[in-house]
Amino acid sequence: MSLELVGVAKSFGTVRAVDGVSLRVASGEFFTLLGPSGCGKTTLLRLIAGIHPATEGRVLLNGRDITHAPMHTRNLAMVFQNYALFPHLNVFDNVAFGLRSRRVPRDEIRTRVREALALVKLEALAERLPAQLSGGQQQRVAVARALVVRPDLLLFDEPLSNLDARLRDEMRFEIRDLQRRIGITTVLVTHDIEEAFTMSDRMAVMQGGKILQIGRADEIYRSPANRFVANFVGPINELALSGVETVGGRRRGKAAGELSVWLSDAADASRPGERSLILRPESLRVSAGDIGTENRFPAEIEDVIYLGASSECRVKIGALRLFAIMPTPLTAGLNSGQRVNVGWDARDGVVVDAG
Amino acid sequence: MLARRIGAPALFVAPLVLVMVVGFVWPLVGVLVNSLHPNTPQGIDAGHWTVGNYARLADPFYGEILLRTLRISVAVTAITGMLAYPVALFASRLSARAQSLFLLAYISPWLINTVVKALGWTLLLRTNGMVNTLLRGLDVIAAPLKLMLNETGVIIALIPGHFMFVLLPLWVALSGLDPALSWAAGTLGARPSAVFWRVVFPITLPAFVAGLVINFIMNMTVFAIPVFLGGARNMVASMLAYQINLVQLDWPLGGALAVALLAFTLTLVWAGQRGAALLAAGKGLQP
Amino acid sequence: MILAVNVIMLIVVLAPVVVVIWMSFTPSATFILPVTDFSLRWYREAFSYPGFVDAFGLSFELAALAAVITVALSFLAAYGLVRYRPAGGEALKAFFTAPLLVSAVVFGIAMLQFVNRLGLYNQLGGLVLAHVVLVVPFAIRSLEVTLRAVPEELEWAAMILGRSRVGTLLRVTLPLCARGLITAFLFCFLLSFSEVTTTIFMTGPGLQTLPVRIYNYMSDRIDPTVAAVSALVVMVSLALVAALNLLGGLRRLTSQ
Repeated sequence: MSLELVGVAKSFGTVRAVDGVSLRVASGEFFTLLGPSGCGKTTLLRLIAGIHPATEGRVLLNGRDITHAPMHTRNLAMVFQNYALFPHLNVFDNVAFGLRSRRVPRDEIRTRVREALALVKLEALAERLPAQLSGGQQQRVAVARALVVRPDLLLFDEPLSNLDARLRDEMRFEIRDLQRRIGITTVLVTHDIEEAFTMSDRMAVMQGGKILQIGRADEIYRSPANRFVANFVGPINELALSGVETVGGRRRGKAAGELSVWLSDAADASRPGERSLILRPESLRVSAGDIGTENRFPAEIEDVIYLGASSECRVKIGALRLFAIMPTPLTAGLNSGQRVNVGWDARDGVVVDAG
Repeated sequence: MLARRIGAPALFVAPLVLVMVVGFVWPLVGVLVNSLHPNTPQGIDAGHWTVGNYARLADPFYGEILLRTLRISVAVTAITGMLAYPVALFASRLSARAQSLFLLAYISPWLINTVVKALGWTLLLRTNGMVNTLLRGLDVIAAPLKLMLNETGVIIALIPGHFMFVLLPLWVALSGLDPALSWAAGTLGARPSAVFWRVVFPITLPAFVAGLVINFIMNMTVFAIPVFLGGARNMVASMLAYQINLVQLDWPLGGALAVALLAFTLTLVWAGQRGAALLAAGKGLQP
Repeated sequence: MILAVNVIMLIVVLAPVVVVIWMSFTPSATFILPVTDFSLRWYREAFSYPGFVDAFGLSFELAALAAVITVALSFLAAYGLVRYRPAGGEALKAFFTAPLLVSAVVFGIAMLQFVNRLGLYNQLGGLVLAHVVLVVPFAIRSLEVTLRAVPEELEWAAMILGRSRVGTLLRVTLPLCARGLITAFLFCFLLSFSEVTTTIFMTGPGLQTLPVRIYNYMSDRIDPTVAAVSALVVMVSLALVAALNLLGGLRRLTSQ
């Protein structure tokens, strides 16, 4: 079942929570809506579910226009952030709820509920009430309840944010595994970058009700469309960039007003306006000796901060401050105040519009 | 210092305790004591003890009055029960400010004295009152309806009086209900009416039942409205109490009636609270 | 459908009060419906009827006394319960709210027999006592909430700086509770002013509050004069309710 959104928007009074969103999710794909709180991702998910009606645009499920279809006719299922298990029903009846709505015969309900509970490894707890379950168990019941109705589309609203770190890792893997085995089209909403990266096939980064970029994790990480996306998915060094020109088939620019840097071939020399050069801390090399990168500059170490497996190295090139993240063994012998060489390869720098 | 500390809370609390003991406990005890003495034309015979007063309450004359009181209370509470959910659901969907006004409207009957309300209902329901005049003017009826001086009038007039004792807890329960539960039910295929009956109603049921019990108890002991809208031929328990205590001046019997009423209502309160708690526990909810 | 039910219910709830006020403006001596001409004739009658004027004075005096006494005592008691959290505090609170469980009729009978035995029948003192007991449950709940909203740290700060507990209570806590105290006072006043059943049972012809006077008048006849008086009572009550609402009191008082 494929999902398509065409120009979908939602206003609450004067506030445009979702502002002209278009995207396509292929059948069987695990798609994530990623963004900070307030970016509109949860509202968008609710529009897909039919909880709120869209003010503009269309929602198409497998080509069928469901934009104005009432919630209970859409044949999708949703797992909520706080699980929303019916407190007055035990686990079995919770999972059976959707089947009873569809008037599935009693014997079939029993078989399918047991199957669903087995999928999430909770058969033994069928008689328990939600109040008697742990957070992780409640979450699994919520997932079973959603899967048992064989929905066309599976929606997750920040399902892991109420779990502790270890459980979260476990559940990430389980949900992803389950999804792959069943092959159900899934849309997940989260603000957690690691979650989005580890679970999704593709993702959309949202801010202010709009989609900023759609792509695979590696595309978004290595080629962020703008400064916000770059900063959201990981720490960055940001240098003001001016005077982008082409020299002998290669791109060059002036960073921070004084450093002449080589830029990747993807950098667009013809665009006007303020630009920024984005450098990921792991792409900076720091060494007392030669570093062999296309861009290299003499620098002074400000500080070396031990983080365990990796270490952060803060350097100064003149007045410009940068930080690098390196495997700790590579920082052996580096001390505060030491003179070193700092550099990076042109293709590791991303040029985006400033601000 | 420690000794003073132990004494300090007692100092703060003592005045009120004293007033409550003198003004609340002592009179109630006095009534109980009186009810156990026989009544004589010369006054209460404090020398003898008897349970005869309670035995007299078993007389079918009193039984008929009690039955009527129960009948009216059950009717009012039943009608209240049927109306409570529609009103509470409507209230919970209003904006915050509209909600305050709305609830104010329903609380106000309780804050305006019941004699004025009795007057209002009399003006509305009597033979040439507002309702009959309106219905005859619109040619809906030919002859006036008898809406007063019978149980019907009493029931109608009693409905708004204690409505808020069911409405408020129900409204609180509905407001506290996680919207995600209704959304979950909806996405799982339940249409709006099914969402209500399968999710909203069962979860709010304990609060609803608890409110109905309070409402019933309050309806049992109303006074002014039955006096004016029911009249002497439709006596209820409170009117009987008035008769016995202030007209017949038979205080032992009056005391027995008071104690019996008190025992009855307290039992109901206890049973109602236990029932609501059991309902809630059985469903895994907070009572 | 829900809307229809709600419209009907609102009409049923508001109708009696609206009707009383509307009818009170009738220019004629009997209620000829519908009333389309408006006259203040019966208001003038009501004001010149000594029975009503005296009764209003009594009701007012009674409500003021009962409210002041109740608020003062309940504030102290609530302070003791909230700040000291003594063992048995829950039991005490249950004791203070016990009058809610005793119906007005039963309490009226009890007070009737009680004041007679003490020779206090038809005395203002007995009536004040009864009204105090009736409104204490509301005052204690409301003032407990008010006191809990005052952080204990403020009192500790004052006491560390040298004030006694009582001094702190008067100079620090009391002013911070001003709004809550006024709300409690108004609420007790309103409840006492509207109290009917218990008062009817325990007072005689010499001591009639306004609701009781209206009751007795109505037992004789129903005429526009009594409608006018009742309308005035409603307006006073509504004014108090409005004041309470402005102070934000009603929600607090009626939530459990």
